[in-house]
Amino acid sequence: MSAQEIVFENVSKFYGDVLGVNRVDLRIGPGLTAIVGPNGSGKSTLMNLMCGLIQPDRGEIRVLGISPRDPERLMRITGYATQFDAAPRWATGFDFVVSGLLLFGYSTALAERLAWAALERVGLTEAARRKVTSYSKGMRQRVRLAQAIAHDPQVLVLDEPLNGLDPVVRAETIALFRQLAAEGRHILLSSHVLHEVDSISDRVVLLANGSVIAEGNIRGVREEIRERPSQFLVRCADPARLAALLFERAPVAEVRVLEEEGALLALTRDRRAFSRVLTELAAGGVAIETVVPADENVHAVYEYLIGGSA
Amino acid sequence: MTARFRLRQAWIIARLEVRRLFLSRRGLWVYGLAMLPAALFLIHGIDVQYRLGQSRRGGIVQPAVVEALQTGMTEQQVIEMAGKPQEDRQWTRRKWEERVEGGRKISEQRVAPARRMIYFDGSRRVLLFFEDGLLRDINKYQILNFPEDREVFAAIFQYYYLRLAVFFGCLGVFLNLFRGEMMDKTLHFWLLAPARRGVLLAGKFLAGWMAATAIFAGGALLAFAAMLWPHMGAEGQAYWQGPGPMHAFRYALAAAAGCAGYGSLFLAASLWVRNPIIPAAVLLVWEAARSFLPSLLQKLTVLYYLESLCPVPAPLDPEMPALLRLLLAPAEPLDPWLASAGIVLFSAVVLRAAVAGVRRLQINYSTD
Amino acid sequence: MAIYRRGYQRYDGPRTSHAERLAVLARDAWRRATAQRLVAVLLAVSCIWPLLCLLFIYVANHAELWGGLDRNFASILAVDHQFILTFMKVQAVFSVILAALAGPGLVSPDLANQGLPLYFSRPVTRADYVAARTAALAGLLSLVTWVPGLVLFAVQASMAQPGWLAANWRLGAGLVAGFLLWILLVALAAVASSAWVRWRLIAGALVLGYFFVLSGIGAVVNAIFRVEWGDLINPLRASYGVWCALLGAPMPSGLTLPMSLGALALMGVLLALVVERRLRPVEVVS
Repeated sequence: MSAQEIVFENVSKFYGDVLGVNRVDLRIGPGLTAIVGPNGSGKSTLMNLMCGLIQPDRGEIRVLGISPRDPERLMRITGYATQFDAAPRWATGFDFVVSGLLLFGYSTALAERLAWAALERVGLTEAARRKVTSYSKGMRQRVRLAQAIAHDPQVLVLDEPLNGLDPVVRAETIALFRQLAAEGRHILLSSHVLHEVDSISDRVVLLANGSVIAEGNIRGVREEIRERPSQFLVRCADPARLAALLFERAPVAEVRVLEEEGALLALTRDRRAFSRVLTELAAGGVAIETVVPADENVHAVYEYLIGGSA
Repeated sequence: MTARFRLRQAWIIARLEVRRLFLSRRGLWVYGLAMLPAALFLIHGIDVQYRLGQSRRGGIVQPAVVEALQTGMTEQQVIEMAGKPQEDRQWTRRKWEERVEGGRKISEQRVAPARRMIYFDGSRRVLLFFEDGLLRDINKYQILNFPEDREVFAAIFQYYYLRLAVFFGCLGVFLNLFRGEMMDKTLHFWLLAPARRGVLLAGKFLAGWMAATAIFAGGALLAFAAMLWPHMGAEGQAYWQGPGPMHAFRYALAAAAGCAGYGSLFLAASLWVRNPIIPAAVLLVWEAARSFLPSLLQKLTVLYYLESLCPVPAPLDPEMPALLRLLLAPAEPLDPWLASAGIVLFSAVVLRAAVAGVRRLQINYSTD
Repeated sequence: MAIYRRGYQRYDGPRTSHAERLAVLARDAWRRATAQRLVAVLLAVSCIWPLLCLLFIYVANHAELWGGLDRNFASILAVDHQFILTFMKVQAVFSVILAALAGPGLVSPDLANQGLPLYFSRPVTRADYVAARTAALAGLLSLVTWVPGLVLFAVQASMAQPGWLAANWRLGAGLVAGFLLWILLVALAAVASSAWVRWRLIAGALVLGYFFVLSGIGAVVNAIFRVEWGDLINPLRASYGVWCALLGAPMPSGLTLPMSLGALALMGVLLALVVERRLRPVEVVS
């Protein structure tokens, strides 16, 4: 198994009679990967399995070559901000982060320095001396994130990390994720806020009913969904004429002239041929302003693959 | 990772946990259990001091005079011998008396004068009960009775501390270590630490043991001090310069050993069994039935080792039915050092089983 | 054209009686309690002592088996109030363990999962809820207390000399009455414990602690102050006083019937107060 990837091999997990995840095979490389799926699809189960909080009934998991059964090594390179919205009653935000760091064997001074740095990254320095139990939901979310990143992990696992954050903090947090991913870390996050996932990551793992429905970059996944025609939004000077031309020359399933001025939506099963025809039309003098794929995003992919089964 | 590093990790875990255990509002009742006998001994001490002072102020009669008092003496004779009593109360009581008249039993009620006089001979309170002017009953009791108080303490230590307070206290403290955190949904923080599960268990056990030992050994020593306090005259001083410190040490050691023995059992039960109340109840019954078990099986109880550590054997329950007394077969106590080693070994074996349990522990935050 | 206003209309059809609704709650509680495998195991284990007592009754009523024995020993083999009291004491311990196991499961999950508002949004009152839960638990506790006790009594009556029943009917009546009082206390303690802590495991431990630790505290008070009123703190001891009175046995030293009854009444009131304070249909938002 690769020491550079997070690998799930035929992993299954049952909670009694209830299915958690079923025969999951995944290889996740560096960068930002989003796990997307409806409630109960197995997102958190996958993350908990990866970090050793639960154990698989079948299959094997390796995180950069380390088994989740070896927390001593695994958690040195992994940070996990769980979805569990609870914190020790006794701890302030600062104590909470420091106590985690002390277990890494850092001296108190170093642990405190790292804790302040992490709290600063999540914008929580002012509230650091307050008890975690007095925090708002968003602050608790951030302190968990601070604890997860404080030891500078190579792998960061984030279960619904944007829940409860206000828009400003949300934008800052997304920027932080991007920055961490750009540094070459493995960042795995789950979310059901699809437009956010779109803006954060271009690689997704889609889960439904405990099984991986699709994985890869969004465009690749979209291209694989052949039973659904691709949608393109075309802005042009004369949509009615362009629609007629498209029907005549291109392999379109449907063309809809949109109510908003100067736009049409074309549905095609042959992206290449469609592109070629559009290019020819443009070269032939038809005024085309922009062509944008309308369903090459997580939301559309999710709708196509999971929408019916969710 | 070196063994030294892992030990350090366990110590850090213990330090973090012990604070939670000491300050937890949920654990306040444990302090109550541990400190109750100390508080009661203290109240008893204050009461005894007050009664002694009051009795001394009322005058002291010679012990020889007290010994010379006999039932059947008249009130006047008693007063002539012992002088004016400290307390003197007179009342009348209705009495039914039977007499036979003409072959028939006749019951009659009559009013009889009654009187109670109290004297003090320097250490004993002497209660004299009179009826119809004659001394009917003499009741002497020692206000301060050191041997009796020591025996009371020994009984309380073995029957209350070891069998109940340490047992239930450890049940609360050690269940809280993993199951409590599971309930609070905070256990995952520990499982996400870069530490082996065994190290986590060791750290948590150490924290539980330190907290329980501080509370129960501390409580027992406070109770011991409170028991000793009213006796700190010549008798108490002699005891304190003799076997007293060793007794105190052995009581504290027994409490610490109890926390280790029961603590390891409850910790293992909380990891292995879905409902640890069942093993706790079974253990309670098993330990309570200890005295009736064959000698070999007695050695499989925690109490056997703990009682061997106690400096004074506890008296038998005086109300135990005769048939049950026949079944008693107490095993020979062990040497205290062997008993300590036995408890350490026992706890180590149980903790080894607990390590296997903690390795298979999974987060499950459903409501329990 | 017609417009039909279709607003909310409450159900006004026929309703089951109050007793039937109460029975629904009790049946549900009974099913929950008996569904636990460990409860079945404990019920089986708690039959051991009654079986031994049955053996004792058989031996006691067959003089030919112990004819050659010493007269003092033979006098021990009597089915009298002492025998009944010993039987009751042992089964009382089993009933406490059973209550610790089965009791909290009847109430704690409802509280922990904020389920009470759902119950009380139906035509069910708090008193109904407590009564149904207590009744289910009392039914379960009966299986280890007065039911086997009555069986033993019936067996003894059938084996003994004619006239034994007429002379000793009080033993049977006292046994049932004494156990009913005990069951009420134990069930109330179990409901109060689970209402107090909400966590099933700790509620179970609290039930055990309530009976065993209080008995210890009572003994500590007696020993330190050289008194006997410490027994009033001990629920088993206070009940024992009442049992003695009901069976016509000599009262234990230091206890009188009014004192024992008073202590038990006080305990009952305190436990009922706990239930009243904690068992409310409110949602706790933490």
